[in-house]
Amino acid sequence: MIGSISPLGQQVLTKATGLPEIAPAATGAVGTSFASALADVAAQTAATMRKAEQLSAAGIQGQANTREVVDAVMSAEQALQAAIAIRDKIVTAYLEVSRMGI
Amino acid sequence: MDPLVAALKVAGSGLGAQSERLRVVSENLANAQSTGNTPGADPYRRKTISFAAELDRATGGSTVEIANIGNDQSAFPLEFQPGNEAADANGYVKMPNVNVLIEMADMNEANRSYEANLQVVKQARDLISMTIDLMRSQ
Amino acid sequence: MDPVNLFDLASQQARWLSVRQTTIAGNIANANTPGYRTHDVEPFEKVLDRSRVAMTATQTGHLTGGATEAGYAVKQEEPKHAVLPSQNTVALEDELMKAGEVRRSFELNTAIVKAFHRMIMLSSKA
Repeated sequence: MIGSISPLGQQVLTKATGLPEIAPAATGAVGTSFASALADVAAQTAATMRKAEQLSAAGIQGQANTREVVDAVMSAEQALQAAIAIRDKIVTAYLEVSRMGI
Repeated sequence: MDPLVAALKVAGSGLGAQSERLRVVSENLANAQSTGNTPGADPYRRKTISFAAELDRATGGSTVEIANIGNDQSAFPLEFQPGNEAADANGYVKMPNVNVLIEMADMNEANRSYEANLQVVKQARDLISMTIDLMRSQ
Repeated sequence: MDPVNLFDLASQQARWLSVRQTTIAGNIANANTPGYRTHDVEPFEKVLDRSRVAMTATQTGHLTGGATEAGYAVKQEEPKHAVLPSQNTVALEDELMKAGEVRRSFELNTAIVKAFHRMIMLSSKA
């Protein structure tokens, strides 16, 4: 059951942030690529939100296609939601680690 | 004054004006055959209504109001009805100067204008609702 | 062109749309008033340009409200079709089309504001 959930979660994360799928088998290289993956997620989210803001401003001035504006804003919301979920998980993991005895 | 609320007020004045116009038209239609009672007496005289725009500085909108409900001074048509109690010496009766076709056309236009004003009222109300909904969560 | 502040832009447009709605209501209410000419507000782009110019011109001093004092110019339009003997130039269909535009723009405006407000609230939650 868990095996079927994690690919689904990975799909959601991939779709929301637009990152290429990270192969779960490459455990050796996960350590270094995870940090860079996080940085990428942050950058991607910021870019998506900026695009949504620009398109919204254009839409208000009557210069953008309505559907494009709606799509951009929805993608921004999805990306933001995913980024927040990641942030919450990281904070929880950090707290757990800090509670571990030496 | 909040412009959207002003729009409601303006459209409301339009509704009132068109209602009044419909009332005048129906009065004319109802009395289209109302002749006088004594020989040679005048029959029902057609009523007219005129509007005027009123620029409201506070709201920045132009409401409409009834300028005047007057009488149509055109001549009464004569009809040959010797048996009628209003018939003059030659047997002619003065009939009201109401043309039913014109009144019906006027009624149609009044209805159309009324519907358009009603649309504006609905839209202004919806826009106000949308604005207040922004505060509502989800 | 990057907006200075999306919420400010949306508020400005909402104000402009409200004034336009009132103008359209006035036109429709006076559709049978003799001598009444159709009115319309200046386009939104002109309003934006005015406020943009005002902001750059007074950068050193105190920034005034610019076009936000609801001082939108409402002018009489030139008659597009043949003018009736009563000198009334209101065309109900045109006014209803304009009202539809106002409604669509307003819906987009409130939806955008709502979405970005939601996102800000989401990211500020603990």
